[in-house]
Amino acid sequence: MQTLREFTRKTKRGNILKIVREHYLRDDIGCGSDLCQYCFQNEVYQLTSNHDVKSSLFKFPHYIVLDTNVVLDQIDVLEEDVLRNVIVLTTVLNEVKHKSSSIYKRFNEIIHDRKRNFYVFVNEHHKDTYADREPDESANDRNDRAIRLAAKWYDSHLQTSQDSKVFERSGRTVTRVVLLTDDAGNRAKAEAEGILVATAADYVKSLEDYPLLVDKLSQKTFENEKQALPQYPPHLSMKEILEGLRHKKLLQGSFQASRENYLEGNVNVEGYEKGILIQGRESLNRAVDGDIVAVELLPESEWSAPSEIVLEEKNVYADDVPSEEREEEEMEMLQQLQAAPVEERTPTGRIVGIVRRKWRQYCGILQPSLIEDTTRHIFVPADRKIPRIRIETRQATKLQNQRIVVTIDSWPRNSRYPHGHFVRSLGPLGNMATENEVILLEHDVPHCKFSEEVLSFLPKMPWTITEEDYAKRVDLRDLYICSVDPPGCTDIDDALHCRELPNGNLEVGVHIADVSHFIRPGNALDKEAAARGTTVYLVGKRIDMVPELLSSNLCSLVGGEERFAFSVVWEVDHQANILAKRFHKSVIKSKRAMTYEEAQAIIDDEAQTGEIAKSLRHLNRLAKILKKRRMDNGALVLASPEIRFQVDSETHEPLEVEAKQMRDTNSMVEEFMLLANISVAQHIAAEFTECAVLRRHPKPPNTNFDPLIKAARYQGFEVVTDTGLELAHSLDKCVKADNPYFNTMIRILATRCMMQAVYFISGSLQKEEFFHYGLAAEIYTHFTSPIRRYSDIMVHRLLAASIGADSTYAQLLDRKSNEEICNNLNYRHKMAQYAGRASVALNTHLFFRGKEEDEEGYVLFVRKNALQVLIPKYGLEGTLYLKSDKDGKDGLERTKSEVIFTFNEEDHTQRCGNVIFHSFDPVTVRLSLDSTNVQHEKLVFKLVIPYIKGFSVETTTELVTPANAQPPAKKSKKDKKKK
Amino acid sequence: MAYVALSEAEKTFILHGVEEDFRCDGRSRRDYRPMELETGLVSNASGSARLRLANTDILVGVKTEIDVPNPLTPEFGKLEFFVDCSANATPEFEGRGGSDLAQELILSLQNAYESPYAFDYRTLCLIPGQQCWKLYIDILILECGGNLHDAVSLAAKAALYNTKLPRVTATLLDAGVTDLIISDNPYDCTRIGIDAVPLLVTVCKIGDYCLVDPTAEEEVCSTVSMVVSVSMRNNEAYLSGTHMTGGGSMHRDTMLNSIQLGLSMGEQLNNLLVTMLKLEEERVGPKRPNTVGFLK
Repeated sequence: MQTLREFTRKTKRGNILKIVREHYLRDDIGCGSDLCQYCFQNEVYQLTSNHDVKSSLFKFPHYIVLDTNVVLDQIDVLEEDVLRNVIVLTTVLNEVKHKSSSIYKRFNEIIHDRKRNFYVFVNEHHKDTYADREPDESANDRNDRAIRLAAKWYDSHLQTSQDSKVFERSGRTVTRVVLLTDDAGNRAKAEAEGILVATAADYVKSLEDYPLLVDKLSQKTFENEKQALPQYPPHLSMKEILEGLRHKKLLQGSFQASRENYLEGNVNVEGYEKGILIQGRESLNRAVDGDIVAVELLPESEWSAPSEIVLEEKNVYADDVPSEEREEEEMEMLQQLQAAPVEERTPTGRIVGIVRRKWRQYCGILQPSLIEDTTRHIFVPADRKIPRIRIETRQATKLQNQRIVVTIDSWPRNSRYPHGHFVRSLGPLGNMATENEVILLEHDVPHCKFSEEVLSFLPKMPWTITEEDYAKRVDLRDLYICSVDPPGCTDIDDALHCRELPNGNLEVGVHIADVSHFIRPGNALDKEAAARGTTVYLVGKRIDMVPELLSSNLCSLVGGEERFAFSVVWEVDHQANILAKRFHKSVIKSKRAMTYEEAQAIIDDEAQTGEIAKSLRHLNRLAKILKKRRMDNGALVLASPEIRFQVDSETHEPLEVEAKQMRDTNSMVEEFMLLANISVAQHIAAEFTECAVLRRHPKPPNTNFDPLIKAARYQGFEVVTDTGLELAHSLDKCVKADNPYFNTMIRILATRCMMQAVYFISGSLQKEEFFHYGLAAEIYTHFTSPIRRYSDIMVHRLLAASIGADSTYAQLLDRKSNEEICNNLNYRHKMAQYAGRASVALNTHLFFRGKEEDEEGYVLFVRKNALQVLIPKYGLEGTLYLKSDKDGKDGLERTKSEVIFTFNEEDHTQRCGNVIFHSFDPVTVRLSLDSTNVQHEKLVFKLVIPYIKGFSVETTTELVTPANAQPPAKKSKKDKKKK
Repeated sequence: MAYVALSEAEKTFILHGVEEDFRCDGRSRRDYRPMELETGLVSNASGSARLRLANTDILVGVKTEIDVPNPLTPEFGKLEFFVDCSANATPEFEGRGGSDLAQELILSLQNAYESPYAFDYRTLCLIPGQQCWKLYIDILILECGGNLHDAVSLAAKAALYNTKLPRVTATLLDAGVTDLIISDNPYDCTRIGIDAVPLLVTVCKIGDYCLVDPTAEEEVCSTVSMVVSVSMRNNEAYLSGTHMTGGGSMHRDTMLNSIQLGLSMGEQLNNLLVTMLKLEEERVGPKRPNTVGFLK
């Protein structure tokens, strides 16, 4: 049987076409039920009588038909392994696919889970359930009708199968079909047609065995709130927004909430260098970080400047009575802003509509409720940019000390906070595994186990090198190749050698693990690696990009084993001038895998005269020449405080902190890696002008340097930022005799002015834009760490293709797909970096649990109500609040003090009596972990030196302060042990 | 024109029949042969019709496109005819064999539709001076049984009646540029008014008499014919064009008579066609008919 589907479509050129598709109706589509005696069933029964879900609404066995809105809104409920025997109609599947690809993906996973018994019924092609569109019927109505038609058909179809005498004798209850829909109109129509129907919420509540499933219901409204007064201005409709954007009355951009001040945010709009500032709750108008919003620019007279206030939301209660205090606080902040000096004002606007929500799932904790036995709770996300979310849960006491995941469902006008629902629990608070999970989730790091399909592409063990392999590769097993890496490194991807040639020159070789030999393009393993993009390093944990067999064994250039490598070999003279270079695949046998420390010891130990020692000394000497040459070119030495944790192998809790040390050998390895990267970049860019994968570091716009220039100027230094070379020189000059750390601080600031380095495809940019600003290199790429970076694998493949060592394939040379991969890599890299930092921050917290230390630090920024203090020893940055908090909630004893700080806007200083804080001033602060709030531990900075009476911590009265901080800390520990 | 071999005796027989007002198939000079009409049978087209007039078989499809109006007539839409003489009809049409005939048919149709009184081009306008509909009326001749002009015009009119244009709304963009938005409901359509759409009536002169709806054989006997295009306005038949075919000539009186005959026949034909089309539409309803008929 055949019918036609007609629709009209507008082409790109503006033509209107009538399109007609043939649509075949079949009579051989099975219903998938094991009760059925008529249908032709081509596979295993999906709908079986083995499952029985007890519902107080429908007290007989039943199958469930879902409406589209139920799938879209209640996907979290569906993901729970509760609902079974579900009939998924293709109408619904198509609508879901059309509305949300992410939910479609999740839904598909449920469908493919055989145990769940979700049966996809192709109702659109079944002769009895196909619904042709009626005149005057909207597409939506047609779909609803198709769903009802299918539900009705199923019910009567099953009934005929269960009519028989045999069935009656078996004494079983008749299985019916239940339609779940949240659309009231559809429900009414279904009832009229005699279909069993219920809302998703009613049905879930009626399940007798799963009372907790209710928590996962999407909350569009909370009952008592329907009459509440609107707290936000209404959003414009989509049509109005589009019209406004077209007429340039509105601007569109992605919203970024401020980390420090919950009443402030920024919208990145094209054409506005710094974005558009949004201040105040009503102007923010329910935008959540990441959303694409429409902004209306305020008249210039109402523009304002970013408040330099650190403001955290407090007194949040689920009952939501707007407290007067809070209003006052908000008012105060806004008043201050109006007084902002004219020259600091930036374009300011207000959000009038949301173009697209970018809501995801958020990790966080429940805020303890003041009222016992309430189901309504406030959820505090771990990410401070995300507002609190109101959820309903019956298991609050259980979840009280757990990290949980919550998703936002809606944010109506009359609610102060968005509404959400509980998705799942990650585990107890403070547990290392839980916290790591939070970090990975928050940074969107794919960290599930490698699937069977991916693993199937691994080489079979035991793996041996065949004769064929030897024939194809250059045999370098005799060379004295060694690797130098940080201690405990198992994914060794680079090794070096250096030897004297008969003609007096030196031969230097960099050997990189040949990962592309094992990961063949296009297979599941390759796709997985491309999706992950990079290995993510957390403290004490590594999330691999490729399965461990490759990363720590077959690819890793461990000492004494024969391994495949991709080698770059130069012939250089003793002044490190490159005379010749060549690339080839090789077989190597690393003589020794060393740590930086060991290598340094060998170089320094005069007694060592072996081949390795000789080659290391040569390398070291050449590296120094290379480094100097690079510096003279204007490469920047930047600093960021980096620390390492010694982690307890069992509890995974940090034992000790040390700042990372830089040895000569670090820089030696680094220089040769840079050299290899640059050599490869030149080669592939010349070979593939359109599709080479390169890395560039754009010069930051001059405004980026403003904070650096300002800060240096207060100290009497002039930083010139016109070129990289000038910047490098002026940074070198910033030295203060009395403050040895000053130069490092300036460099830390300079680092923060930099842009992100990004991967790109050579064909997408002009040659001049290839420049790598930080390294002062004309061209650069990543070649040396294929085990942990996918970009390097791509570079390996390009290089291999160019020297004929490997075959090319279509996608390798496809600029567009390469560009897509690059975009993903850039995103993954950024996220991996953030995740790494978050992990360090987390471990710092754990490290200070129950400890209190006085540490030397430096003022990094002076804010209006706080000092940003950097502790070099821990690479830690924290806020020292100067203004007392009104409610004194975490203000401790200083609330009572009469100390008043005055902020000088001219030179950014804070003054109290005769003590003045400048940027970069050394201070001593006491660090402790404030555990009064078990859920939200935070590091507290307290001033020790310079001493201000009534504000600083009394160094002599040790007894007073610990009494404040430690007992709760201990208590919290005990609390944890109990669980 | 399709060639039919006739002997002199046959021709004389036909001639005598016409003189007697009793033609070979029993008709009088003012009679048409039976017709079969079906509309909406080509699902890919916006409108379609198939007409069978005894042995003459015509299929018409209407396709639509968005175009820019002619600057001289900014408020007018566009109409274009195309005739394809299928080699199915007669082997002579093979290759370029039918192109002369096709050209002649196109010309006579264009001529008939040219006047804005005969076809209201304004209904095809979307945004004056910027965008309008352009209708392609594609005519396929499947079989030749004489009187092609009449059959083609009847089928074209029926197809236009059947044509459904998707409802389009215009929104104003910046700088006066407009953007078209089409309705997502396939049933939300506009129709074309066909009241004034002309029909062609071929008046064929055989011997001293004029007759309508000549068969292929009669056409061979005729020395000259006049194609009269008849357009209806306020229930009155108007002449919207004439066109002569054949080698012979006509006396002025014969010509006037022919036009009179054509007008009265055209009026009758038109009334019948419109009633039949309305009847058919009522029977089928707004939904697409179940696929039965000629193309199935």
